[in-house]
Amino acid sequence: MRNFILSFLALILLPAYMSGQVIKGKVLDKDGIGIPGAIVLGTTSNANTDTDFDGNFSINATNGETLKISMIGFETLSIKASTSFMTITLKDSQEMTLDEVVVIGYGSRKKIDNTTAITSLKAEEVSKTKVLNASQAIQGKAAGVQVISSDAPGSSPSVVIRGLGTATGGRTPLYVVDGMPTTNINNINTNDITSYEILKDASSLAIYGTRAANGVIIITTKQGKGDKVTVEVESFTGFRKPLKTVRMADSNAYATYTNAALGTNTFSTNQPVNTNWLDAITRTGNYTQNNVSISGSSENVKYFFSAGNYEEKAILNGLDYSRFTFRNNNEYKISDKLKITQNLSFTSANSTPQPFSAFTSAYKQSPIVPVRFSNGSYGISYVGADGTSGTSGSSFNNVGNPVSQLDFNDEEQRSVTLQGGIKLDYDILKSLKFTSQFNGEYYTWKNYNFEDTQAIWQVNNNPANLSSIVYPDDKNINQLTKGRNQYFNWNLSNYVTYNEVFGDIHDIEVTAGIETSIQGAREALTVTRKDVNPNSNYWSLKDVNYVGTVTSYKDEVFNETKLASYFGRFQYKLLDRYLLTGTVRRDGSSNFGKDYRWGTFPAFGIGWIVSNENFMANVKGIDLLKIRGGWGKLGNQNVPLNNQSYSSGLSYYTGGSILNEGTTINSQIDPSLSWEITEETSAGVDFEFLDSRLKGSFDLYDKTTKNVILFTVPYITSGINAASPAHVGEVNNKGYEISLRWDDKINDDLSYWLGGNYSNNTNKLSSLQNANISPIKGGGLGNGQWTKLLDNSSVGQALGSFYLYDYAGVNPENGKMLYYTADGEKVTQDKLAESDRNYSGSILPTSNYGVTVGVNYKNFDLSVDGYGTGGSKVYNGKKAQRFTGENVEASLAENFWTASNTTATNPAPFNSVPVASTYYLESGDFFRINNISLGYKLPLKEGFINYCRLYVNAINPFITQKFSGFSPELNGNGDPYGTQGIELDAYPTLRSVVIGANLKF
Amino acid sequence: MKKVYISMFVLSSIFLSGCSDDYLDVNETESILTEDIELFNSNEGAATFTTAVYNKFLDFSMSSFSWVGMTSIASDDADKGSSPGDTGSDKDLMDALTYNPSSPSTSEIFRANYEGINRANRAISIIPTLDKADANIRERLVGEAKFLRAFMYFTLVKAYGGVPVIDHVPNPASEEDRLMQLTRKTPAEVYAFIEKDLTEAAAVLPLKSAYSASEKGRASQGAAYALLAKINLYQKNWQKVVDNCNLVTGYSLVANYASMFRLAGENDAESIFEIQGTGTVPIKGIAGYSNIQGARGAGGWGWGFNTPSQSLLNAYEANDVRKNATIIFAGTTLYDGRVVPTTVENPMYNYKAYSSSFTDAWETDTNIKYLRFAEVILMKAEALNELGQTADAIALLNQIRNRAGLANTTAVSQSDMRTAIWKERRVEMAFEHDRFFDLVRTGQAAAAFTIHGKTFVTGKHEVFPLPQAFIDEAGGLSTQNPGY
Repeated sequence: MRNFILSFLALILLPAYMSGQVIKGKVLDKDGIGIPGAIVLGTTSNANTDTDFDGNFSINATNGETLKISMIGFETLSIKASTSFMTITLKDSQEMTLDEVVVIGYGSRKKIDNTTAITSLKAEEVSKTKVLNASQAIQGKAAGVQVISSDAPGSSPSVVIRGLGTATGGRTPLYVVDGMPTTNINNINTNDITSYEILKDASSLAIYGTRAANGVIIITTKQGKGDKVTVEVESFTGFRKPLKTVRMADSNAYATYTNAALGTNTFSTNQPVNTNWLDAITRTGNYTQNNVSISGSSENVKYFFSAGNYEEKAILNGLDYSRFTFRNNNEYKISDKLKITQNLSFTSANSTPQPFSAFTSAYKQSPIVPVRFSNGSYGISYVGADGTSGTSGSSFNNVGNPVSQLDFNDEEQRSVTLQGGIKLDYDILKSLKFTSQFNGEYYTWKNYNFEDTQAIWQVNNNPANLSSIVYPDDKNINQLTKGRNQYFNWNLSNYVTYNEVFGDIHDIEVTAGIETSIQGAREALTVTRKDVNPNSNYWSLKDVNYVGTVTSYKDEVFNETKLASYFGRFQYKLLDRYLLTGTVRRDGSSNFGKDYRWGTFPAFGIGWIVSNENFMANVKGIDLLKIRGGWGKLGNQNVPLNNQSYSSGLSYYTGGSILNEGTTINSQIDPSLSWEITEETSAGVDFEFLDSRLKGSFDLYDKTTKNVILFTVPYITSGINAASPAHVGEVNNKGYEISLRWDDKINDDLSYWLGGNYSNNTNKLSSLQNANISPIKGGGLGNGQWTKLLDNSSVGQALGSFYLYDYAGVNPENGKMLYYTADGEKVTQDKLAESDRNYSGSILPTSNYGVTVGVNYKNFDLSVDGYGTGGSKVYNGKKAQRFTGENVEASLAENFWTASNTTATNPAPFNSVPVASTYYLESGDFFRINNISLGYKLPLKEGFINYCRLYVNAINPFITQKFSGFSPELNGNGDPYGTQGIELDAYPTLRSVVIGANLKF
Repeated sequence: MKKVYISMFVLSSIFLSGCSDDYLDVNETESILTEDIELFNSNEGAATFTTAVYNKFLDFSMSSFSWVGMTSIASDDADKGSSPGDTGSDKDLMDALTYNPSSPSTSEIFRANYEGINRANRAISIIPTLDKADANIRERLVGEAKFLRAFMYFTLVKAYGGVPVIDHVPNPASEEDRLMQLTRKTPAEVYAFIEKDLTEAAAVLPLKSAYSASEKGRASQGAAYALLAKINLYQKNWQKVVDNCNLVTGYSLVANYASMFRLAGENDAESIFEIQGTGTVPIKGIAGYSNIQGARGAGGWGWGFNTPSQSLLNAYEANDVRKNATIIFAGTTLYDGRVVPTTVENPMYNYKAYSSSFTDAWETDTNIKYLRFAEVILMKAEALNELGQTADAIALLNQIRNRAGLANTTAVSQSDMRTAIWKERRVEMAFEHDRFFDLVRTGQAAAAFTIHGKTFVTGKHEVFPLPQAFIDEAGGLSTQNPGY
């Protein structure tokens, strides 16, 4: 073993470690064009390499040795090596694409033999968009996959596959990273990924039964290849700005509007100050990423190392984010029968978070307030007798100074994620393989948040002329909160795979296995202290007991979750054309009561490769035609541990200094709670026409979640306000997906492609069985108004539907906003009853689409990707939340009802809280160019650098949207009944320009 | 190589053998399972269930912004205050009596009281089963929970009229309990339930003097009788008012009215029942109570809501010490030396919510005095007057007036005396969450609101609207109050 490690180290450290001689050559197709990526294998030396972009290779082989040259889509060729430059031409394969393989969970399958709906994305298709999170990179690339992303550094996008099937249960798909099931892939460097497989239909998902109801994304990271050490470097740097901003009223327009709202002349309409608060809190963001990878292989070892560093100075002042990733993937061939694959990834992320509520404050704070007064103190919203902002007078709104809000926010977060696993593949017999795989994930996080309480008090209470007011000496000088968080999750699976062909026509593969997944208990420690040393170096002195200054101490251990599973899969292929797959998985989850723990999730799929039929042999133009279909059943267990327990911490003093502990029961638990079950029937066609230049597929599906879990609250008078999960309804998603792509090569210098996908999904709450549930009134705006409803009246509506008063326009007589009652009468808001509300559309889009266009001309490459959604609604929460004295949009300030402008579309200025109405509801439709990438490959001769591509990317350069706010892509808190689809405290979508280079040594 | 096979085998076998049903049992670590009730089977454990009921009275939803809105801002004692445009979500509507079934304030108080009632019901059902706790302590703890449950039902019946009476923890599967939760009772039925709880509580609760120094804040026998007297007062059972007032013994008026609303006056000789706030660590105060009513603007420390009205200011006779003990005037110096500059936004604020040590903190040492001996004297005076014993009533009323630095009352006739007592109640108990209900109880509301400049619609505004959410849930089993 030690020898093995030494030789392994030698491989990394000594790239010059070689023997034999260098054989050089070029692999061409029938048109004489170089084939990149072809594998060249020395049959006796076992050396291997692959061809570069132009088809050139060099391999460390012996003269006269047989070289085997293979490439997907071409027939494999064997040829004797010669010392002179070899020119090798490969013939087109008759079995085009047949060898392409997809990962299907606990195994892989030739794409053509697969009966299910899996979208496979290769790294090249995805890595061009320079984004931090791997799931953001797939936006618009796969039909039926909706990605709602945010450009806030470190944020996790929402990914919805084939429509939302659950309202309050877990909504995220399951990610399987090199065999490790996880729910978050923020720690994965996009550059390390070699492929994404998106499992979309129940037939493919059932093998992951337990957690598959929201779809599964299998991520495979890179492995070493080639016989020499390859060093790859990718670096880029770029700048970022908000893609779209809202023009706010200037200070004079603000004064006019606010005076009208107050019915006074409090504000001068000749303001000396005009602050653009968004500019005051933002900067031009910049980011850089550097990745280095070293990879290669020898006879017994394949290795891959990568290190990546990402740094971003975000557009919000003070918000910095950095991430360092390290990965090592190795494969050891221990013997002819045994292979061990090991992977390890280390990610550390640091950030200095800033509150996104600063965007809301900047939206609301009046432009008449300066960032700082002339005496240097922060501007506050006081209006003096002269009608301008100053250090005295009366306060005219509750909005703080957004700049001081950011300046005083002193927070830092650091996290480390370690993920790794080991996999053993053992060939018991030629046709029987045993696999055992263990994966673990350790996460630790810490933060601090320092509040300079006294200084903040001075800003808000002590303008220069009020120095007589002193800071009370019994108050905290400052406050420090420190947090620690950690967990360890692990997963173990063991399975056998049997594969045999009987009588040349019956191809059978059987997989059977067991698996357990443990989501370990998360531990969290949060301590708050007061009056700490202002120098952060001295917050944690040795041997000092801080008990006297601790104001809060929380030490929490969250419940762990255990899963145990048995699974099996049978795949049968008859005569290379008729396909049958059957899957069954039985899962037990610790989240449910003892008698309701286990669920069985079966699925089957059938396929017919029409193009392999004899009668198709002479049909021209059709290279592949496959029809497939299936049915399956899936589960969702993402609910909290379903136990009746006490609420603690309800303490009280009964007149002295002794704090009495308090306990009660504040929940109603349904002990029979069990799996949320989704059933799906789907069918599809895959095709390749015209020499495989046109490829595409079409899919149809009908998916029903029969016993949707919702968090329900008992009747108000029960006095129980804790929501508990219950099976209450049925949600249906029906839809279709089309994807098409045309690739063509006009000549050696010019090739191009054109592709697109479109998916349409109809989401519907088809029934609610449980009459006892309390309505969910969601989408609260924080001012007493709510916007979304889920109760018995919601049957027939999409999830995440808005429930609003219908706006009826402005009363031309007095400028007041009018609304329709249920009887169609137009009234002011005080005359409305709740029964006047109507369903007004959902936050969920009915369609998603992506397009891609690209051209390669000589050494230049250009590609453009776009993404859009249609049919969703968004609520302009920032606008709807306005309180008195806060700023308004320029479009409103420039045209509102007055006695002399009675035809204005905007109402007369007002101060009361407006009811939630369609006045603030807007279309969420948008189409955005996600990425334009232009690259140039330097014409390098053989040398130290083999490959160099320079590129310029424009990310999100253009958008067309109907929404008048910042961005219609609003993930909010990710909850369809929370702030998803409502613009409040939202981070704007960014436009970025990036320049970078890829190098290979 | 063998080692690899062996470890592989061991790994697999561990998993296989572990895969029984027990394997999926995990230990609850986030909260204590109800099946571990034995952990509470002690005097201290039993007490925690009653403590949780008291704790509810510290919640923002129970005792703070909404409660101030309904009981003070809505009354003629106070205006909304704050900046003209700051509505405090619906406090402008509360002030103008234009609230509706969806107004957050009225909905929140309804919910919060039922949440407290759930805690009381839990205490009343769990504590008797804790057989290792002392029987006398258990009895007292149940008595305290019944007092608090009665207190909350009294709030509900005053504010909303007849409401569902939840007298036990409902079983979600029971149709009978479903009807119980959704069907309004008549006010008389609610009052009967309250009287029953208070009578049972009075029978088991100790005198305040019997509690140790650190337990003076618990419900005592005196508190039960005082609340019983108040319930009788609302039902105009005058003799019962007198009888129950006579049972409230061991209390006396303190000499300095203003001292009662400072830290030093907490649980003093006059105090019968109050909600306890503590501002020192570990902090446990009434969430936001001082802050929302604190002076607003430059030199202020709070949101500036619930400001004394002109109508209240006018109600004080000259030299009434209670005026300066109840109202903070801008431009004056407070008892602790704090200068309230003239730059604050409103001319007057509520002094009774002021905390000297924790001025602008969210949770402070301010208590809410719900039952004071002065009120017992006034209730008794009112009942005696109604029973024709006006002379006795005058003597009682004068105790209150003299303490406030005022001369004896000039009222002689029964009807003048009635008005005098009502007026005295107002100035004595301003901002103690009584005025709105007192106006309705005495039938003075319409006239008083006219003076205050607001319109009180007789037949509608006697009660607040039930939450729309409750009406929706009830689905026809309960109807909304008239006019809403």
